Amino acid sequence: MTGRLPSATAKGKALRREIAALDIAASCESVDLWAASRDCSPAAMLWTQARLVPHLPDVVAWPENAEQVSALVRFAAERQVPVVAVGGGTGIAGGAVPVRGGIVLDTKRLVRPLRIDGERGSVDAGAGVNGKRLDELLAQERLTLGHAPASLRTATVGGWLATRSAGLLSTRYGSVADMVLSLTAVDGTGEILRTLDGPSAGPDLAQLLLGSEGTLAVFTEARLRIWPRPRERWLRALRFDSLGEALAAVREALRAGLRPAIVRLHDPLDTLLSHADPVHVPQPLKWLAEGAQAEALRLALKAPLVLNRLVDALAASSLVVLGFEADSEDDAAEEGEAALAICRRERGEDLGAAPAERWLASMHRALWRQAPLFAAGAFVETLDFATTWDRAEPLYQAVRGAAEGLALVRAHFDHAAREGCAVEVSLVGHVGAGNGEGAPVKEASAGLEEAERRLEAAAGAALSAAADEGATISHHSGVGASRQVFLRRELGEGMRQLRALKRAFDPRGILNPGKLLL
Amino acid sequence: MSAYRDDLAATGAALVDDGEGLRVTPPSTASLGRAVAVVRAHRLALHVRGNGDAPANAPSGGILLDLGSLDRIASVDAATGIARVEAGCSVAALESAARRSGCTLGPLLPSVRAGSVGAWLAGPTRGSRSVAGGRRQTAALTVAAVLADGRIAEGRAAPAKAVGPELDHLALGGSGDLCIIAAAWIRLHPATLAMPGAWRCSSVANAVAALQRVCEHRLAPARARIHAGPDGAILGMTWEGLESAAMERERAARILREICAPAPEVPPNFVREPPEGHPVEVDARWANLMAWSALGDVHLFGLHAAGSFAVLCLPEAGGAEQCAAVARAAGARVIAPRRLRDAGPGWEAAGAGAVWQRLVRALGVTA
Repeated sequence: MTGRLPSATAKGKALRREIAALDIAASCESVDLWAASRDCSPAAMLWTQARLVPHLPDVVAWPENAEQVSALVRFAAERQVPVVAVGGGTGIAGGAVPVRGGIVLDTKRLVRPLRIDGERGSVDAGAGVNGKRLDELLAQERLTLGHAPASLRTATVGGWLATRSAGLLSTRYGSVADMVLSLTAVDGTGEILRTLDGPSAGPDLAQLLLGSEGTLAVFTEARLRIWPRPRERWLRALRFDSLGEALAAVREALRAGLRPAIVRLHDPLDTLLSHADPVHVPQPLKWLAEGAQAEALRLALKAPLVLNRLVDALAASSLVVLGFEADSEDDAAEEGEAALAICRRERGEDLGAAPAERWLASMHRALWRQAPLFAAGAFVETLDFATTWDRAEPLYQAVRGAAEGLALVRAHFDHAAREGCAVEVSLVGHVGAGNGEGAPVKEASAGLEEAERRLEAAAGAALSAAADEGATISHHSGVGASRQVFLRRELGEGMRQLRALKRAFDPRGILNPGKLLL
Repeated sequence: MSAYRDDLAATGAALVDDGEGLRVTPPSTASLGRAVAVVRAHRLALHVRGNGDAPANAPSGGILLDLGSLDRIASVDAATGIARVEAGCSVAALESAARRSGCTLGPLLPSVRAGSVGAWLAGPTRGSRSVAGGRRQTAALTVAAVLADGRIAEGRAAPAKAVGPELDHLALGGSGDLCIIAAAWIRLHPATLAMPGAWRCSSVANAVAALQRVCEHRLAPARARIHAGPDGAILGMTWEGLESAAMERERAARILREICAPAPEVPPNFVREPPEGHPVEVDARWANLMAWSALGDVHLFGLHAAGSFAVLCLPEAGGAEQCAAVARAAGARVIAPRRLRDAGPGWEAAGAGAVWQRLVRALGVTA
């Protein structure tokens, strides 16, 4: 569906009345339908820019507990209506976009219970609890979950569970899949599932549900592991002449048993734009980073290959930011100094703490800096691959090579583990002629089509290269709608297992249809 | 019998009569796939055995799938810390290969160490072991699994991924119900000298509380032992990690200052001394371990913030049965010896019994 302003359909109005009769809040108001029609994926940003609504739900519902979620799912199953669960709407892969309409189940009122048990080291949180709020409440008790994704301020616990989210501190605390002690979810038949907090037999039910992106069950609450909040943080930035040396240094530090809270390795372009490196940033790249000088930006992005080559010609160094946490300054520094010694052996130059602190201060702003770029006529696609250490640099080179003619490519390596890491790639490209605001619907639709085609071409080239390199196509953002074309290449015969899981958990196929190739 | 025997012979596997059943030994993963498809097509009962696993007979009228020939270690990469190994390989053989490359699987339960890689991953521990920071993690980076129709699903080796449900978990801990593990990518730790430390505690409960506190501060040791006696208990721990072990031991010692006293007279190999008597292996929470008999001896592996795998032994006990009974009374789940293994709460206890039935109908390997 396209149109400037969404309006309720007769079907939507009828659904709203029936859902309200279940004592569950529901709405067909334009603003609610519009808000539920998108996430933070680049495609959705293009829709917003074009003022078009390609995927409109019929109704939005706000259940307040697992029983209401169960009732809503049973209701939908009887009528064969899709149910798409959404949390903060911060996904970047279109996972919560209602591509087949139906009911958007907004989890933000699933905020009970919230029980912090410092003795036991756990917190019980509803799926709708906001990440930042949870972090603040834990901080008051000098506790932490250790989960700090870029979307912390707006994402919800349920969204984290649905995508196997990982955050800035994942090297020390793991991904959300490592934090779950037990969870409650509602399957596609409306059955409430409560996994056990303790030893259990058979395959791990919780681990099978995590990351299912709303296709197998709707999360309603989780018990998560929490830890004493470290009092001190040691930060340091280092510069390496080559990416290979930087990767080797990080790998060796982890193999030596060190557990940094923060590990971030920027490629040369990302290093230039990271605000941490003292090297002068050329003005055209500043425009790119900030979305300023729209006309110049559009012109530059029309020749992405030239831009990428320009970056190649600049002095290439790679910035590594390391952070260690502990209860005392000495303990944090002790581990940090051990890591520094390893980095020096790999020819890393210590830049001190100041660049790392500047980097940390600006890190959470990066996501929101994308809006000016879209407004200036660009798209920004962020992809997160993962692989083993031996394949990390070849993966980066392959992805860059595949996409460099279609978009400016910047990347960083993070979520480091002993065996490998994530490679996060940002593609900044030109949307084409007509995705601007204020265009008539017909022209806006044509412009949107071209913009989406360009976006898909660039992202597809990168994803295809990653798949060829044997990497996983998503480390922590999920597959959603935008990456699912490549899921079959990744899973191979595992698609049979995935479909069997779908039939077992959601026999009527109502939960988030059109995602994960299901 | 002749119909399925002919079909199995066509898979390339070696066939040997085994009581009232048949022992089938596929020489390759492809042959294994074909054999599993025959088992499923004829709805045969199935047992699976790898190198080192306890002796087993073929079920009556069914198949003992012997993975003994699937024991190749394709690679051990010390720099990346990953081994690629077939499921029939014994854990001991893999550990030897890892050691030759300067790596190790880390401390494992004795029953795990004695069995095959496939049994470890498909068994009750799901291949999990402790990793730095008070967490547990499966040793399998990913697995190649034979589905009921004989096709092979293989995941991509990555430290973490978010590509839908983690399909490896259909195999891990699954006892071969939904698929048979054919091969795995196993995470290896760098082999380093263990840093030991010992403390004297007023009781077993006090020692468990001390250990719990250390683990909750993300300083979980690689292994530990609590030895009870009439005057209290000795708590021994060892940390591993080239750069981290000494730091963690020092920090743990600081935390323990208020709870127990150092015991420098305890020999360094105290933690590694083998259990005596008739031990049982359990998966336990700290509260379970705290309730353990004041006369017991506890060896701990796979420690994490909430509990640990443990080998429990009562030197005075008449047999493992008695030891298992005490462990169960304390709330622990017995996982070895196999004859005493507790089934444990499964999907039904989570309200997912119907889901499990549908899953078995869709993916079940056996009848």
